[in-house]
Order: sequence, then C-alpha cells, then structure tokens
Amino acid sequence: MNTEPIINPDTFGALRSMVGDEFLSELIDTFCTETPPIIGDLQRALAEGDADTFRRAAHSIKSSSANFGAVPFSALARELEILGREHNLAQVGDKVARLVADYGQLERALRELQHAS
Amino acid sequence: MPRETAPISGHLLVVDDNKVNRLLLGRSLEQQGHRVAFAENGRQALEVLRAQPFDLVLLDIQMPELDGFQVLEQLCHDLHLRDIPVIMTSALEELDSVARCIEMGAEDYLTKPVNAILLRARINASLEKKRLRDQQRELVRKFATAEVAEDLQASGFSLGGKFVEATAMFSDIRSFTTIAESQSPADTIDLLNDYYTLMFEAIAGHGGVVNQMVGDGLMAIFGAPLPLQNRCERSVLAALEMMEMIELFGCEQEAQSKPRIRIGIGIASGEVIAGYTGTLRRATYTCVGDTVNLAARLEAHTKVVGEPILIDETTQQGLSSGIETVPQGPVQLKGKTDEVRVFSVPVGQKVRR
Repeated sequence: MNTEPIINPDTFGALRSMVGDEFLSELIDTFCTETPPIIGDLQRALAEGDADTFRRAAHSIKSSSANFGAVPFSALARELEILGREHNLAQVGDKVARLVADYGQLERALRELQHAS
Repeated sequence: MPRETAPISGHLLVVDDNKVNRLLLGRSLEQQGHRVAFAENGRQALEVLRAQPFDLVLLDIQMPELDGFQVLEQLCHDLHLRDIPVIMTSALEELDSVARCIEMGAEDYLTKPVNAILLRARINASLEKKRLRDQQRELVRKFATAEVAEDLQASGFSLGGKFVEATAMFSDIRSFTTIAESQSPADTIDLLNDYYTLMFEAIAGHGGVVNQMVGDGLMAIFGAPLPLQNRCERSVLAALEMMEMIELFGCEQEAQSKPRIRIGIGIASGEVIAGYTGTLRRATYTCVGDTVNLAARLEAHTKVVGEPILIDETTQQGLSSGIETVPQGPVQLKGKTDEVRVFSVPVGQKVRR
C-alpha cells in the first residue's frame, strides 16, 4: 500500500532549483543536525507525559521535513502532533518508534541526494 | 498597481523556532532582495523588534517561550510596533489559528512549505501597503500637529467630540489687506510663511498646538488634544514671545524696506468642545464653544483698546504672580449678553519666574 517515495522528487527538485545546490546542501546538514535533538525532545516529552512539548516537537519535525518533500515522514509527524494536541499520549509509543526508524531512512535518502548533486 | 515598479526591498524579520524553516525563508527573501534578521521564538522577536526598525515580520504560530498569538497581542498594544505588517507562516491545517491571527491584526498568511512565488507576491503587496500607510502618516504629520497625529494613532480616527478644559488663542495680522496690496503676491506669501514659522515656534515652544491657519490669522489650543499643565500661563508666555518675535521680524523687514507687521492676540480659558470635524474624507481637529468664541472676540477687541494682547478673567486667574496684567474693565463684547472682565498683558515686560 505504501508506494510513496521517502522524498517526493518534484518537491525536492523545486527546492533545489529555488535555493541552489550549495545552499541545499547546507540546509540538509542543518536538518540532519537539528532533527535528532528534536526527536530527543519528543521522546523525553512522551516519557514525562508532557503533551505540549510533545506536540510542539512533532510540529517542528513535520514542518521542517515537509520542505524537502519528505511526505510520509512529515505525515507521521503530523499524526503525532494531533495526538499531542488531543493530549492522547497513551498509545503513541509505536508511532514514535516508527518515526525514529523512518528518520534514519530519511537522513540516508537526503545524504544520497546531497552527494548526487 | 505597483506591478510596473521595481520590487520594494525591505528589512524583514523571520520568526520561527525551526532552524531549517528559518534558513529557507531567509534564503528566499534574500534572493528577492530583502535584508533578513532572525528570531527563534516570540520573546526574542519582540526584543529584536524593539531594538531596530523593521518593515515586515514573518511569524510562525507555534513556538516555545511566546507563541505567535502572544507576539501579535503584544505588537498590537505597542504604539511603535503595531503598524509593522505581520505575515503568519503556518501549516495548511492550522487555518483556524491563522483566521484568529488575522482577526488579531496579522495582515496575511503563507502556508509552509512556502512557495517562492506566493512569498514574493505577498511580501511585495504587504510592503507596498506599508509604504502607502507610511506616506499617509507622513502627510498627517505634515498637515496636522504632532499631538493630533499622536491622538489619531492612539484613538484611531473618529468624528465626534468631547468636553475638554483648554485655553484658546487667536492671533491676527493688523491691516493685512493693506500690506498685501502694497507688495507682490510672492512677497505676501513669503511674509505669511515667515510669520507662521515664527508663531508656530513660539506657540509650540510653550506646549500649544496651532490647529487652524486662515489667511493671516491663526488659532491655537493649549490643553487639547493632550492635557497641558499651567496652560493659562503657558499661553500668555507664548503670546509675549510672539510679540517679541514680531518686533524682531519687523526690524528685519524694515532693514529690507519691507513693511512691518503688527498682530493682535486674544486668549480665553474654559471648557471647549474638541474633536475632529468634517467628513470622513476630509477632517480637521478643532475646538469650538463659548471659550473659543470669547478668544476670537478678545482678539478683535485688541484693535478697540489698542493693546496687542487681551485675556479673559479665567486665564488671568491662572497666571502666576510673575506676569503683569492690567485690568481693562468690564467690556461688552459682540455676541455676549453679560459684560466680560478683560485684562491686557503689557508687551516687553520682564517675566519673573
């Protein structure tokens, strides 16, 4: 059922032509530096039952990943954001674990695209 | 429409807690010729906004510290910041929040990820609107007084008046028609401009506001639209300075073989009705009422008694002992049923402070 690519090539291509290769590479570096700590915040917030921080972290991940066309990853982060907003953290453990795994995939995909330019 | 003109470049502030978003927006804006500064949260944004001037803010809604709503709220309560246009940057599914922001005063919104073409269009439209508003404000500043401009900014424009305790002053040039007939129109306008410049300085220097200039006459108010302490004394000190200025100006005129001018000043204090009069298209801040009429009558009466400054009893009672006044007796003035006690203020006196 999930045939959607990790990164939508059209969105990514548009981003590349808009900002240029050099800046895009910088942007990917920034994303890969900034995102793991935010995922850390998300996991900590989950452990502490802090729904507000959870929601904000998910929101941030959703929004920055969307810039690269990381559609499924961004959608998963959005699901988490909604659950956080509803203060419904009881059953998000699996989804958070999936987000962590998907992040690994996403980072690899971005690095490949970064070096392909 | 501004389509034909070169894109306006501005000093923009990007507020977003996510660094990727900040960098990307900043890059797009710089590519469009703008100067960009950044803030990571609402608190930082307000600090930066208060420290330097900006033409536009791109504001994220969900942020730690102060969020977008709180920033907007503080902006619209800040007289110096509330006119900076704010464009919200939000996710598509946050449109409810965006609507709330627009109700709170945000100018427009963009959904993230931001499309460069929409970004350009919205930024340019906002900057153009801001430019027009700034121009308007500049016009208000030029054609109204600083006090009126401030009052307009604080209370917004509304026709409608209120009672205010104030001191009204009228000043007029004596035999102006004769002077105007004796010289060229250009010289007459020059003369009026010099006269107004000197009178404005003397009046504003003592806290008064010139709110009407008609031909060779002017009307000034002390105590409206903003309250003023010791307004009676200040108005009389302004009148004395005006006479001094006219004397100096007269010497200058004579040295150039031009006519000397003389003025008469009438001052009255009490309740006035203050407000914007006119239509929604064209209005002026003015004061009306008995006190204002009395000041005008006193000004006219200066010709009768041959004293250049006349004041009413209320104003006289508001003076400190340092200013000399001379009773001119009760006078029957046009339009007044009762006689009015009138005082002259000798010109050239040394005011003891």
